[in-house]
Amino acid sequence: MVFPSRPVKLLRESLKMPGYKLYYFDVRGRGELCRLILHCAGVPFEDFRDIDYFKDWPTIKTRMPFGQVPVLEVDGVKMLAQSMTIARYLARRHGLAGQNDWEQSQADMYCDCVYDLHNATVDATWEEDPVKQKDLFNKVNQDTIQPHLEKVEQHLVKNGSGHLVGQGLTWADIAYYAYFTTPIMTRLGGEVLTKAPHLKKLIETVGNNPNIQKYVETRPVTSG
Amino acid sequence: MLIETFYRQIGSEIVTNKSFKFSMPVYKLHYFNNPRRGRAELSRLIFSQAGVQFEDVRFSHSEWPNIKPTTPFSQVPILEVDGQVLAQSNAIARYLARKYGLAGKDEWEQAQTDMYIENIHDLLNAAAVPFMEKDPAKQKELYQKFMTDTIASHVVAVEKQLKKNNTGYLVGKQLTAADLAYYAFFSDFIEVKFGGAFLKDAPLLKSLIDRVKALPNIKKWTEFRDSKYPEEN
Repeated sequence: MVFPSRPVKLLRESLKMPGYKLYYFDVRGRGELCRLILHCAGVPFEDFRDIDYFKDWPTIKTRMPFGQVPVLEVDGVKMLAQSMTIARYLARRHGLAGQNDWEQSQADMYCDCVYDLHNATVDATWEEDPVKQKDLFNKVNQDTIQPHLEKVEQHLVKNGSGHLVGQGLTWADIAYYAYFTTPIMTRLGGEVLTKAPHLKKLIETVGNNPNIQKYVETRPVTSG
Repeated sequence: MLIETFYRQIGSEIVTNKSFKFSMPVYKLHYFNNPRRGRAELSRLIFSQAGVQFEDVRFSHSEWPNIKPTTPFSQVPILEVDGQVLAQSNAIARYLARKYGLAGKDEWEQAQTDMYIENIHDLLNAAAVPFMEKDPAKQKELYQKFMTDTIASHVVAVEKQLKKNNTGYLVGKQLTAADLAYYAFFSDFIEVKFGGAFLKDAPLLKSLIDRVKALPNIKKWTEFRDSKYPEEN
């Protein structure tokens, strides 16, 4: 009697899990939420980030559906673009999107809010002059972040579970964690969550997730 | 004749509405009255195509200071569903598309539908920059740059995807909210504002938006909308 060898068994196992390859630059930016979701869910993937902007990007860009990254390649054949679409797809496939249609939509809503926050902060994030950067950041904080936090705090308290949606962790919680722990936020945003203690606690909770902690300890240090 | 119409209506509701219940949810979509279409139009198109009743609440900018604090994030559109509230235009559109069979046939097609809707969201954000510019000369320059830089390259990319999919639709073999989103942006906004020259090398995209424009429910909605809410700008 011949038993399947270990390599054959491993191959069979690997065939069941989709092969994910995430294309993005070697920064956190718009790709980090996808990475965090995959690590949190314990799903293996190829974190393809060795893309030199001048040497590699011109060629890689032509292969991407809309000339942009992040892009998720699944099983080497199909490609999905748009950072939030990828994150949502992964969250739904791997149990991090809410328990029913309504919760999923609530999670979508919060993540769309975080997308807007990222858009508002992008100029500050990549500003090289430190004085100008601080000014830009303070303006975004005052005009956009603080008013938003006031609302989020109210909703968090009303939901009552410590999480944004339903009773457990969703990608909405992870999205807020990702946004409020970016390098610029860590450097300039020390006071940002002062009036949002519930959100601050939620962010700490997400940060203490063992899978996320393990990833964060070993991920590359980048400027954005 | 009346009975037949009644049953046909119910029948079409059952066919188009996967989660058909004898009591439909009460929907109220809230948005500004100007811009006439803006971030709410995709959801209105989804409702219309799916044949689902909704209250199309439009308020003036002078009423906004009173309405703003009642919204989840001080923004509109918002959707009330039997009294519960959902914010963010894309989350609303996505929720309705999935509920009423306009989001593809499986998870992957749903993700592709999302992707195209988010493409349009980015294009709307990019269009907002010239839209908000007060200086007419500068606005003209910004719009020109928007057309030659942002729109032209996107049209090339989406034409390629349409060719690859080869069904006449953006996603799979059927109409989805992705097609409605591209119609709303490219036909109902870009074509109206800048003419159709940008489509000269994109026959598949042109054919798609013409097909959506001619769908009976979409045609009915745009005729009703154009007569009830004449364009301000």
